[in-house]
Amino acid sequence: MAVQSPVRAAPATAPREPGSASRRRSPVSWVRRGGLSTLLFLLPLLIVFGVFSWAPIVQSVVMSFQRTNLVGPAEFVGLDNFVQVLTDPLLWTALENTLWFAFLALLFGYPIPLVVAVLISEVRARRGLFSALAYLPVVVPPVVAVLLWKFFYDASPSGVFNTVLGWVGLGPWQWLQDQGSAMPALVLEATWAAAGGTVIIYLAALAGVPADLYEAAEIDGAGIWRKVWHVTLPRLRTVLLVTFILQIIGTAQVFLEPFLFTGGGPANSTTTLLLLIYDYAFANSLGGDYGAATALSIMLAAALAVFSVVYFRLTKSWSGS
Amino acid sequence: MSRGIVSPSEWATARIRVVLRTLQVLLLGGLLLTGLGPVLWLAKAAITPTQDTLRTPLSVFPNGFDFANLVTAWTRVEIDKHFLNTVVLAAGSWAVQIIVATTAGYALAVLRPRYGGLVTGVVLGTLFVPSIVLLVPLYLTVVDAGMINTFWAVWLPSGASAFNVVLVQRFFAGLPREMVEAARVDGAGPVRIFWSVVLPLSRPIIGVVSVFAVVASWKDFLWPLLVLPDPAVQPLSVRLPALQRYVELDVFLAALAISTVIPVALFLIFQRLFLRGGALEGAIKG
Amino acid sequence: MKSSRIRILTTALVVPFALSACGSSPEDQVGTDGKVVITVAIDAGLEKAAVDAFTKRAEQFEQANPTVDVRTQEYTWTAATFTAQLAGGTVPDVFTVPFTDGRGLIERKQIADVSEQVAKLPYAGALNPNVAKAGQAADGKQWAVPIAAYGQALHYNRTLFRQAGLDPDKPPTTWAEVRTAAKQITERTGQAGYATMTQGNTGGWILTTLDYAFGGRTEKVDGDKAEATIDTPEMAEVLNTLRAMRWQDNSMGANFLYDWAGINQDFAAGRIGMYVSGGGNYGNLVTQNGLKPEDYGVAALPLADKPQAGVLGGGTLAVVSPKIGDRSKDAAVKWIDFYYMGKLTDEQAAVADAKTLAETKQPVGVPTLPVVDRATYDKAQQWTKPYVNIPLAQMKPYTDKMFDQPLLTEPTRSTQDVYKILDTTVQTVLTDQSADVAALLAKADADVQNQIGRS
Repeated sequence: MAVQSPVRAAPATAPREPGSASRRRSPVSWVRRGGLSTLLFLLPLLIVFGVFSWAPIVQSVVMSFQRTNLVGPAEFVGLDNFVQVLTDPLLWTALENTLWFAFLALLFGYPIPLVVAVLISEVRARRGLFSALAYLPVVVPPVVAVLLWKFFYDASPSGVFNTVLGWVGLGPWQWLQDQGSAMPALVLEATWAAAGGTVIIYLAALAGVPADLYEAAEIDGAGIWRKVWHVTLPRLRTVLLVTFILQIIGTAQVFLEPFLFTGGGPANSTTTLLLLIYDYAFANSLGGDYGAATALSIMLAAALAVFSVVYFRLTKSWSGS
Repeated sequence: MSRGIVSPSEWATARIRVVLRTLQVLLLGGLLLTGLGPVLWLAKAAITPTQDTLRTPLSVFPNGFDFANLVTAWTRVEIDKHFLNTVVLAAGSWAVQIIVATTAGYALAVLRPRYGGLVTGVVLGTLFVPSIVLLVPLYLTVVDAGMINTFWAVWLPSGASAFNVVLVQRFFAGLPREMVEAARVDGAGPVRIFWSVVLPLSRPIIGVVSVFAVVASWKDFLWPLLVLPDPAVQPLSVRLPALQRYVELDVFLAALAISTVIPVALFLIFQRLFLRGGALEGAIKG
Repeated sequence: MKSSRIRILTTALVVPFALSACGSSPEDQVGTDGKVVITVAIDAGLEKAAVDAFTKRAEQFEQANPTVDVRTQEYTWTAATFTAQLAGGTVPDVFTVPFTDGRGLIERKQIADVSEQVAKLPYAGALNPNVAKAGQAADGKQWAVPIAAYGQALHYNRTLFRQAGLDPDKPPTTWAEVRTAAKQITERTGQAGYATMTQGNTGGWILTTLDYAFGGRTEKVDGDKAEATIDTPEMAEVLNTLRAMRWQDNSMGANFLYDWAGINQDFAAGRIGMYVSGGGNYGNLVTQNGLKPEDYGVAALPLADKPQAGVLGGGTLAVVSPKIGDRSKDAAVKWIDFYYMGKLTDEQAAVADAKTLAETKQPVGVPTLPVVDRATYDKAQQWTKPYVNIPLAQMKPYTDKMFDQPLLTEPTRSTQDVYKILDTTVQTVLTDQSADVAALLAKADADVQNQIGRS
């Protein structure tokens, strides 16, 4: 957003006291030109952002160099918190798990909504029904969804999913109760809960592809596949790139699923970075390690920022403009 | 005229039509199963006795109904109270977000102070800070302010949404400048212009921000979990996981079902708004 | 519309700052009627009847202490939320914590020093010294009042025992018998024969319990130095037993992510044959999880035939928030005396409590370990006898032996951290068939040493 030149709000004909015209910044003329009311309009933003966003961000940075138990005064400990976090073997487990979650989420969650959206966009009648059905899981409150799926994932042979597997002669599977399958199970639920939203986004983008582009391709003799490949996908590129990065940033902060499904288990196989931050800060009943928690948060934020920047640089050069 | 990837002449080809129709029927089946299936199962389980749900989760009422579950869920679990909390939280967050976004958008896009660029920059900067960075210091801020267990602890921080501010600011910047100038010539002050000129024109954008605000508040979990430890003020999202341990399965599932019915009903009524909001989210972020 | 919006805005701005003004320094909260107000903890998620019983007791207290206004606040200690609540100052004025946390809270002055008030209680000198220690500061002052003590026990489902062809009056007395019974239960009923907690530090708690029962210890404290003793033959035996039940017998069910509340719930729902938890658990099972009394049985924890083998014990401390003033402190200790201790030490109070509980169909007579001397304990049992409404006969396998088993305290160094490390150990054994027990123990030992060496 470009910086706008200030517009004079007060009528130019307003009478001025002698001398004030030369001192443009005098408080009186500032008020008269509407400076005060502008500031009043900005006040909610300044207070809310100041207290609940800017100050905590600064405090976060400060705290990452401190040790505090909230009872005594905080003491500065240099890089100790960062060293402590980086030498915690759980950090690498959590990092690995988070990357694994992100990878699986992309694997399940990236292509499926695209395919579904493309198919829905070709539906002639009752397209609304299709999109409503696809969107329905998004409306189910996420906590309800997780608690419901936790029951579906019951690993006994009479669990919901295991009953279904039993019909086709499979299972019972361990779902959440196995170190290997717990994470994919989490991702499956997360994908179910989120895919509808992505479908709707793609549908809107698909509707924006001009029909004459398809017609031009048809004149060149393109079949359906070639139209998808050479017209649809390139037109969706921006949206696809954005949903990609949003999904990465979202999955890097996954908390609800591991927290409610498994508490990070079995044997830390679903401990994600955010869960680790939560554990540092809030899990020990005798007072959290807030320094370690903020240090890890800041490292994660920095990593995400670097990732976003690099990603946009790369994709810019790919777009070839 | 609306057409998709497949041209009318291709639709006329028998082979393509059969394949596409089959795919669409399969898709419909799949969507019914995955989209509607779990919700229907929950509705069924809500009125099925615990032991039936445990032993044969997929049989439909092998031993009859148990409507008492719903009543028990409503009374013993106090769904009504927590639902009310959820609504109050959403309403308050909505109000705070609307106030912050519209006043700030107006000041930055219409009044345009000299320091506007700086403010916009600092607001935009917070977009790049993931919310977890704020978790601990924000929690301590709320603790220091004595806001724990009050709705303010959720309402006020929700207002610090750079996304909303940018959205509204862009919209206001696009409003016809002449209307503002005309009002000004008529002698209207900044407050009058805000209230009688700008706000009435900004219904669409307020609608979008509202949908985002309400949906986000409805889904929020970690933050209310931290700042609302007293069950009396907890919303459903925080209360339900705790209740899981204290209530029998059938009653618990009934409670889940009740908590789902309301947003689903809202969705069915305001389907267009939801779907448009969802689509817009992609458009704007892109 | 406009004015209401402005009002919301001004309230939004003013309220937080107004609130922050009345911050930390301890102050009495006094109502308009001049009564001092204290908020007291009531268990989370209670059945209606239990809430009624509690309210009734609170009314009785207010009648006896007309200058005090008692308010209730739902509160149950959990490791994950307690620190946030404590830091946020949202704990009630009177609340409870496990023995495990007592010493740490006192050291950090996160609870009020009420030793003066406690010393005036008639039974102050008669507290069971082993138990009293959990609530004492280093100088021996009693900051916290032990209100309940437990020893771990083996809870079992009599109905499942019967269905499996086992004698519900003869529960297992050795771990070998536990294993056979578990196998039989799973084979004949399809339910988990034996289940164990694994999550939220409870996995470590139960693992330590089993370690003690097999004759091991998790740490050796010598003055300031503490040494981790996880990697021992006893712990290896524990893990190998669990492993055999899980992977050879397949008798441990299908859930390996239980915490305390979760396992209680599945046990009450009849999905678990046996599990280890505190001996006084019956009350929670009935009031929070709707356990059918006829299903319930409890036996003494099987102990290995070694002199060191013993039962891990623990308990609950009633403590007072540091944020209240002297009048409230007096009232708070009075409440502790009235609600928690009276029923253990005073005939009238014991009878009144039992009567109220019985009238509201709450369990009376659940076996716990004495927090005062044995004589007082036995007397209290006599006073309440007419009101006992629980199947005491089904608890005989426990009550017959509970006083004879040697009682051991929990590890004292970084207890919660150690339990957390052991959570992972037990989860690994139960979810990874090829887990290498020796390597797991070596790792846990190193982690624990790292943890307790630090503090």
